[in-house]
Amino acid sequence: MRSVDLFDGYLQGTLSTEEHKQFELRLKTDLVFEQAFEQHKTLVETLQNRAKQEVFKAQLKAIHTEAFGNDARVISIKQEGFFQRFGKTAFIAASTGLIAVITTVALLSAGGYLLKRQSNEITDLKREVVELKYSQNGIVSAFTSQPAPPRYAPANLEGSGFALNNNGFIITSWHTISDADSIFIENKFLERTLAKVMISDPKLDIAILKIETDTVYKNWNVPFAYATKPSDLGEKVFTLGFPRKEVVYGEGALSALSGHYNDTTMYQVSIPVNPGNSGGPVMNEQGNIIGMIRGKLSSAEGTSYAVKISDILNSINSSNTEGLNVNVSKKGLKNLKRVEQIKRINPYVFNIMVYKEN
Amino acid sequence: MSRTKTPISDEAFIAGLKSGDSLILVALYKKYYNIVLKLVVGNSGTQESAEDIYQETIIVLYEAVQKPNFVLSCQLQTFIYSIAKRLWLKQLRKFGQVSLMREEEEEQLADVQTEMQEHLQKEADLERMNQSLTTLGEPCATLLNDFYVLKLSMETISEKFGYTNADTAKNQKYKCLQRLKKQFFETNSVEA
Repeated sequence: MRSVDLFDGYLQGTLSTEEHKQFELRLKTDLVFEQAFEQHKTLVETLQNRAKQEVFKAQLKAIHTEAFGNDARVISIKQEGFFQRFGKTAFIAASTGLIAVITTVALLSAGGYLLKRQSNEITDLKREVVELKYSQNGIVSAFTSQPAPPRYAPANLEGSGFALNNNGFIITSWHTISDADSIFIENKFLERTLAKVMISDPKLDIAILKIETDTVYKNWNVPFAYATKPSDLGEKVFTLGFPRKEVVYGEGALSALSGHYNDTTMYQVSIPVNPGNSGGPVMNEQGNIIGMIRGKLSSAEGTSYAVKISDILNSINSSNTEGLNVNVSKKGLKNLKRVEQIKRINPYVFNIMVYKEN
Repeated sequence: MSRTKTPISDEAFIAGLKSGDSLILVALYKKYYNIVLKLVVGNSGTQESAEDIYQETIIVLYEAVQKPNFVLSCQLQTFIYSIAKRLWLKQLRKFGQVSLMREEEEEQLADVQTEMQEHLQKEADLERMNQSLTTLGEPCATLLNDFYVLKLSMETISEKFGYTNADTAKNQKYKCLQRLKKQFFETNSVEA
């Protein structure tokens, strides 16, 4: 009989009275045996505690939903179910996004009076990606109410972004990349490639990235122009972005000339957006860029915000970064039909993938 | 018999938690949620973070009352509030946010240092166990879980995994356990 079997037998109470006696005697006299047993006990107990806690956590979740409903969870797709799988990392990542908004809003609002209300209402739109191993086991255990097996959850964030010029500069949301260790971009036309952060502007919630390898963008011909005049209320607008791995088109109208709490750096647009849309370009009928998707109001569906292109361009110009020139006199895609515009734009809208250590 | 409207005393809550009374757990959960919600949302948090912090708070309380020598040395509400505050501060610091938490008027805090330390230690152990099991992979993770958590017999496990007999299953379990032991005890604690 192996020691392990003895340990298990003792802990489970399946040893005979005689065996039990001998076992306890040996524990007292054999130090090595005793240490091995303690180690075994710790290991098994941790295994069991882990399962117990998983069950308890699920129970608390259920109580919460029962008592207070599930409304708060509907909006933030990114945070669904994190804690059920010990997803500390994921939880932190998700909350970091919220903190990012808070920081942004804090900077925006000098008085600070509306700060907290705002921060709770605007939902960031980066997409949280959680890799699920053991997913099949997870489903099985959900039915048998067994604790879920361990899952590996390195939380990565994803968002959208678009090219600013032919020099490999890309703009995205600051809140998507704010604590990245490495950033990759990709789309159907471009294989995953590394990009680095050149400019961070948390105030506007924008970040400018640059593709590291110049061969990637040597043949670029960024087709769109930037709207030089302020846009008008009611103008039809559309966006392209990556709420999932495939580029998704969304359209609506410019519904207000300012953002949340009269923030003049933003437009309000009635485009339905989802996590992952952050950083996508917002274009008018002429296919000219009028802004970049920033976030949406969590309390109202279809109320989204876009950072105005004029503010973006000001921020870019004041940075004096070499190679970051933006051609605003371009003709753009004015005379093309929407589908043609999209075809031209598509290669220059990217899925931004953020990796974090931890 | 109609239910009494008498509020549940702190002692009754503790006793109910200890014995695993789910009605008491529900009542407790409902009673103190708003306090933690207010604390977290009032200090740069969201409703979602409040929910997560509150649930972790209840876990700390639950762990604490399981200890035979547990004595509640203050009001239950104060205890819960103090734990929640510590947890939320920790979370804020993790994002590199200097703690900007407001002091409430007449705020009462209990000394929950011991409970917090034990909780964090336990969390670290469980996290290490999670990682060890992930590294271990299948079928070991499920096999060990079947035996030690679900207490399935070697015969059942043998059938489930398609081993020739219970002895083969037992051998397999032994190998898995040795590997888990190596993983678990030789990996250093990742975070405190």
